Amino acid sequence: MAETKKRSFFSSKICRFCNDDESKVYIDFHDIKALKPLISERGKIVPSRISGNCAKCQRLLTRAIKKARNIALLPFSVQH
Amino acid sequence: MLEFVFIQHPLFKPMRRYLLLRSYQSVLILKPDIEESRVDEALAKIGEFIKSNGGAILKTEKWGKKRLAYRVKKNRFGVYLNLYHTLEPSGVFDLEKKYKLFDLIIKFMVLHLADDELERALGRDEESDEAEGEKAAGEKAAGEKATAKNDEDKG
Repeated sequence: MAETKKRSFFSSKICRFCNDDESKVYIDFHDIKALKPLISERGKIVPSRISGNCAKCQRLLTRAIKKARNIALLPFSVQH
Repeated sequence: MLEFVFIQHPLFKPMRRYLLLRSYQSVLILKPDIEESRVDEALAKIGEFIKSNGGAILKTEKWGKKRLAYRVKKNRFGVYLNLYHTLEPSGVFDLEKKYKLFDLIIKFMVLHLADDELERALGRDEESDEAEGEKAAGEKAAGEKATAKNDEDKG
């Protein structure tokens, strides 16, 4: 019971990339609108524990974010 | 017909590979303070680079001037170009070297694309453009509404 309460506090445990159908998932590194919510204020990648993504999509997402960082679409770190 | 070639790379010993064309994606950031005509010139020159390494450009996308997430060679903005092209695998190193020496380019990334990724990239253009256009139009309308609201508030 406690667990479900805690879970609802964050977000639902549904993968936001492969939820709809079973076809192959693509995550583009230049699609910043999709990547931005999965990055913390500091520029870190949000863990799947919190975002609710499945392990496979999280791996693809990590690669996409790292590519985007390389070409200056996303920050490596945000300075305060 | 397949031929054997020796791939020259400074980090690896010469390897024997089949000579095949593979598909690549190049994302380039150009200097922000150049005119559009110079962008086209740069594109023509980049096309020559790719041709000289046995490839051809399949598709070009201009993403336009964007704010960079961090400073690159003291620039805060950059003009993005996205190219889908074929290349001989042995020419990648040479192409990267040419990009590095080309003074208009401040940063670049060359990616190898699998077949399905390339198909998706080439098929995506019209739909996404339309969608983007609609989105832009929507944003504009929203912006106008917001400004109108502001005016009302002020009035």
